[in-house]
Amino acid sequence: MSKQIVVALAGNPNAGKTTLFNALTGARQHVGNWPGVTVEKKEGTVIHGDREIHVVDLPGTYSLTAYSLEEIIARNFIVESAPDVVVDVVDASNLERNLYLSVQLLEMGAPIVIALNMIDVAQGRHIHINDKSLSDLLGVPVIPTNGKKRIGIEELLDRAIERAETADVSGTQRTVSYGTEVEEELAKIEERLNSARTRLNGLSNRWLAVKLLEGDPEISKVVESTIGGDGVFDQVEQSRKHIEDIFADPPEIVLTDARYGFISGALKQAVHVDSSDRVHLSESIDKVLTDRMLGPAVLMLILYLVYMFTFQASEPLVKGCQVLFQWLGTLAGEVIPEGLLRSLVVSGIINGVGGVLGFTPLIAFMFLAIAILEDTGYMARIAFMLDRVLRGFGLHGSSMLALMVAGGIAGGCAVPGIMATRTMKEPKERLVTILVAPLMNCGAKLPVYALLIGAFFAHSQARFMILLTLISWAMVLIAGKVIRSTVLAGPSAPFVLELPPYRVPTLRGLLIHTWERTWMYIKKAGTILLAVSIVLWAMMTFPTLSPEKANRFEERKAKLTSAFLADPKVSVVFASENDIEEFEKFIKQIEEGERPTVGANNPTFIELAEALKKPSEARSESSKQPMDTDIGPVASAYAAFAAEKTATEGEKLSEQLKHTIGGRLGVALETVFRPIGFDWRTNVALVGGFAAKEVVVATLGTAYSLGEVKPREAESLGEKLRKEPGWNPLMAFTLIVFVMLYNPCIATLVVIKKESGSWRWTLFAMAYTTILAYCVALAVHSGGTFLRLGLS
Amino acid sequence: MNRAPSQEQCADCPALAGQECCTGSLIKLSNLKPGQKGTIAQVCGNPDFRLRMMEMGFTKGTEVTVVKYAPLSDPVELVIKGYHLTLRKDQASDILIHEPDQAAA
Repeated sequence: MSKQIVVALAGNPNAGKTTLFNALTGARQHVGNWPGVTVEKKEGTVIHGDREIHVVDLPGTYSLTAYSLEEIIARNFIVESAPDVVVDVVDASNLERNLYLSVQLLEMGAPIVIALNMIDVAQGRHIHINDKSLSDLLGVPVIPTNGKKRIGIEELLDRAIERAETADVSGTQRTVSYGTEVEEELAKIEERLNSARTRLNGLSNRWLAVKLLEGDPEISKVVESTIGGDGVFDQVEQSRKHIEDIFADPPEIVLTDARYGFISGALKQAVHVDSSDRVHLSESIDKVLTDRMLGPAVLMLILYLVYMFTFQASEPLVKGCQVLFQWLGTLAGEVIPEGLLRSLVVSGIINGVGGVLGFTPLIAFMFLAIAILEDTGYMARIAFMLDRVLRGFGLHGSSMLALMVAGGIAGGCAVPGIMATRTMKEPKERLVTILVAPLMNCGAKLPVYALLIGAFFAHSQARFMILLTLISWAMVLIAGKVIRSTVLAGPSAPFVLELPPYRVPTLRGLLIHTWERTWMYIKKAGTILLAVSIVLWAMMTFPTLSPEKANRFEERKAKLTSAFLADPKVSVVFASENDIEEFEKFIKQIEEGERPTVGANNPTFIELAEALKKPSEARSESSKQPMDTDIGPVASAYAAFAAEKTATEGEKLSEQLKHTIGGRLGVALETVFRPIGFDWRTNVALVGGFAAKEVVVATLGTAYSLGEVKPREAESLGEKLRKEPGWNPLMAFTLIVFVMLYNPCIATLVVIKKESGSWRWTLFAMAYTTILAYCVALAVHSGGTFLRLGLS
Repeated sequence: MNRAPSQEQCADCPALAGQECCTGSLIKLSNLKPGQKGTIAQVCGNPDFRLRMMEMGFTKGTEVTVVKYAPLSDPVELVIKGYHLTLRKDQASDILIHEPDQAAA
């Protein structure tokens, strides 16, 4: 196979670039990050004929000025990596603005092929584009495509390869002519650049001259560091001043105007529009969806539907996953001999990781719902309708996307949410969004909610999730307002957002989107969580009880056993300790529905097991009947003995847990957390949640399964909690609110540090969230106690 | 309908100094009612905002239509160069347009 060809995919947001990328690469794609930054980088390969084509999806941008990080990334890739060809994805139904980017790409001198995408939408709107004529006017191949229906893909690839193999395209590709005055100044700058004789990485001096005249800070820096700038910058200064004098506008404005002039000239020749006053379907839909009265109502309804979909549709799968992990736990418990290793595998790893991974289907459904909102274009309408509200609280309409991704609809993640703020150019609004995003209901908090809501508020799950969403939004807004009027006071910045036409998303696009995000979640659970689960398991296992203390419990058990055996009533069945052990094993196997391996032929065992199933009153009654043997009293005695033994065992384990590092920490925190009703076990779980919120469930699971006397009993954690003394709906709700608001997880803190660029703001985020959580939990706990709500 | 901009606003927008805006023949985009349209005369505001708006298609002589205002009367939805875009009212007030076609109201 001959040499690999590198194709960069450029284009405006909403031009169908992602759909085209998916159509080109199919499943052979890989998602990563652009080096040094957190902007997503998608790459894929496609085999076309005997060629292997490597496709790099550049971030969607409206322009290539250094306005946003995305624009700098896209531009730098074209400049530095010099792809063999740039495929410019253009929305045919929105040609004029889309061609602005094309004109800039042409100016850079990169080999271009234009994909005239969504040509069907344009035709539907009676926009007739003569692609041959457009191709002649711009001097580049123009191929009509439809990413959804995979139309034009083959030809696009043919042309891209052709273009990549054309030695020099500079002679054929058209560039904008800016008129005599500007061109004269550009020529002067170019001359200075030429005389500097340092070619900059194959960049055309024409393009550099344009960028310098526009006062582009990035390019100015590059030129200064390589050429040294002598003479060049003096000329740039002069030229800028000259143009400003003539046009009464800075050069960047004059040049932008000229580019649009060039575009409209081209469109006059290549495009013909019939009946432009026709109302499009998208506009009719918006008559309802963003209507003053109906809009907000529909918004609430849609959010409600998202919850119903997420929770109800995923329910069987979540149950299935939990059963699977329980089965794994049981299996491991049987295969691995009793001891530290079994404890590590069952209590540490399977319970910890499984407790979280079990919720994967729920998270995936939520991501699917978010992807639908994004891909249909409704997300932008949400921002449109809510900007006024957000701004009132010191945020921004674009904060909406970040907050939604962070969990505005429960199930996001603060990490990509905070990364999404990179599209915001307003420093203060951006920082506030970063600081409040962790208060949202991210996917990691969902397992905690699902556990507690399922256990204590099972009958109103969807309504409860709405309530929690409203609480977290209220907290985000209040916190935003307070931060913006104290530590980050200042006026609000502009809000410019495209409202793309509504589109039917492609199933493939939705699935890829959902899969990528879900996979990120699984990876996080599989790596960080595994490590954290093991550390936490160690924290809750060591140090072990001193031998004397442990012996005291063993002695108590031994005493119980000998007292039981000394009872003459039981001697019929139990002659020795060995009999007790056999019977315990026998009854355990029966309870688990297995065929007993010991004592199966022993009729008294069967009889005794039968008798134990009856309630105690029934047992004493049946003993009065003469035809019955003495099994009734034996059963009563055994039941009492077993209960005492269990209690002793439980006491021992609880003592042991309190003795460990985690237990001691939890006990130490009791003084602080007593006012909000948390005991040391909850405190240990919250300490674990500092690492990652889902660990709260994992730790509760570990804590309660360690304290569980019969680890084989397949009883879910929720049911266990409901039976625990001290747990009631109020306690569950207080814990939910606390988990929602307190300290962001480690991954989020790392991103906050990276994005805010300061430890000060990171520490601020930790401090304010935890104080807020404590205050709100205190209000809920004392309010609930005072009103006697949810105490039983 | 408010006449705009005042002399004071012209001072905020150096590009306007001495131009027709100060004669009062221009109005702010934010003063249009839903359904009204006009052509862009000038974009004011800070240089970053001006350039961004120009890049998004707000060049002189371009026709712009106000589609509607959001449920809380702000931001505003516009159509420009055939696509829909939303801006806050205070940003829209930095965009000056020629007297709209009254018949369209």
